[in-house]
Amino acid sequence: MQQTSNPLPATAGTTLKARTFDCMGTVIGLTLPVDSPAEGQPGLDELAAATAVVERLFRDLDETFSLYRPDSEASRLARGELTLPHASAQMRERYAEAHEWRLRTEGAFTPERPDGVLDLSGIIKGHAIREAGTSLLALGRRDWCLNAGGDVLVSGSPHPGSAEPWKAGVVDPADRLTLITGYPLGGNSRHSAMATSGSAERGEHIWRVGSGAGDDGFVQVTVAAGDIVTADVLATAIVAGGTRMLDRAADNWDVAVLAIRADGSMLATPAFQPG
Amino acid sequence: MKIRGTVAAALASAGILLAGWQTGTQAGGISTVASSTTATGTTGATGTGSTGTGSSGSAGSSSSSGTAGSSGSASSSGSSGSSNSSASGTYKGNTVQTRFGPVQVQITVANGKITDVTALQLTNTDGKSIQISNRAAPLLRSKVLAAQSANVQTVSGATITSDAYLTSLQAALDAANL
Repeated sequence: MQQTSNPLPATAGTTLKARTFDCMGTVIGLTLPVDSPAEGQPGLDELAAATAVVERLFRDLDETFSLYRPDSEASRLARGELTLPHASAQMRERYAEAHEWRLRTEGAFTPERPDGVLDLSGIIKGHAIREAGTSLLALGRRDWCLNAGGDVLVSGSPHPGSAEPWKAGVVDPADRLTLITGYPLGGNSRHSAMATSGSAERGEHIWRVGSGAGDDGFVQVTVAAGDIVTADVLATAIVAGGTRMLDRAADNWDVAVLAIRADGSMLATPAFQPG
Repeated sequence: MKIRGTVAAALASAGILLAGWQTGTQAGGISTVASSTTATGTTGATGTGSTGTGSSGSAGSSSSSGTAGSSGSASSSGSSGSSNSSASGTYKGNTVQTRFGPVQVQITVANGKITDVTALQLTNTDGKSIQISNRAAPLLRSKVLAAQSANVQTVSGATITSDAYLTSLQAALDAANL
């Protein structure tokens, strides 16, 4: 944890600006450093344009993959009206990706609900964030922070041209208005993505697996990684798989992990340890 | 003594030296290793130089092996042949390649017992020291409380609903930047 208190040099004329929209049952926000916001119509227009691209992408994916939409391809698959071999290419690609993660996590992450219904929601948000990031870079945006319901992907720095990372706070599961710690993303940090999974809120796509039984389990797991899908999947897998999956993740991926138990005690890999 | 040394060397070349280091502190294995060092004169034996979790010095069963060249004062009075081994000194293993980068382990022996295992070389190709173990350890809340007041530009938490977002820290941050 470098630079916990680092008074930012006032970069002339650059201010952070954010736009948000509702999708996938949560709120997605894009934050950009904008030049001269006081008169900055060009800067704000760029933010609006970038947000529109991100929103389009999220909505398209939601239309295909949402199980809350009866007419989505995912819902037709779940009802058995469509079989996987006849599904769209992107549906099969996400299914293949999710299954690969099931193997890598020894089943702690799984794309199937206990009732056997295919549920790719554990990977779709991360996929949407990843695709949005790719689009932003393709648009020529180098410095941005994208937050989709608590999962974060950044590029560059809040101060363009500097190596200073974005600073992400990790929320306290016992008090959502309190931060437990902060973690640098982008800039000179080796991680640019962070995802948090919890067993308390909207954890319906997380099911405990046998390997996790026996330890008292985590109510919240935060994973920082080089890419958002790895962070998202491993956070979900560690909530489901407990300490064993935490050790596997720390050993096999370049990740930083902060895991919190119901009693408030925490486990953290070295990058989350102060000093 | 000769036979003992040969047996010990054979055992060692089977790649169990570090395993011996590991168990030697509890069992009597270490005195065998020490007398093998004395018996063969200068060089040590082949051993596994694995370092899965280097800080604890555990050996595991890595296939990477190297000859452990003894340095320092191997001052075991080997000629006595008595069970009262008093081998002392430090012994460096060869550098082995691990997925963490090159690693070299040194043990310190006092009176036939390992008193310390140190990882000497923990650098990546850039020459920077690296964290050899990424294992999670307990983190005390009081240790990170200072970070609460740190300026953050974004907040990570378990996925919240659109309704819950309205009262979240992220919403406050977004509102400040609208």
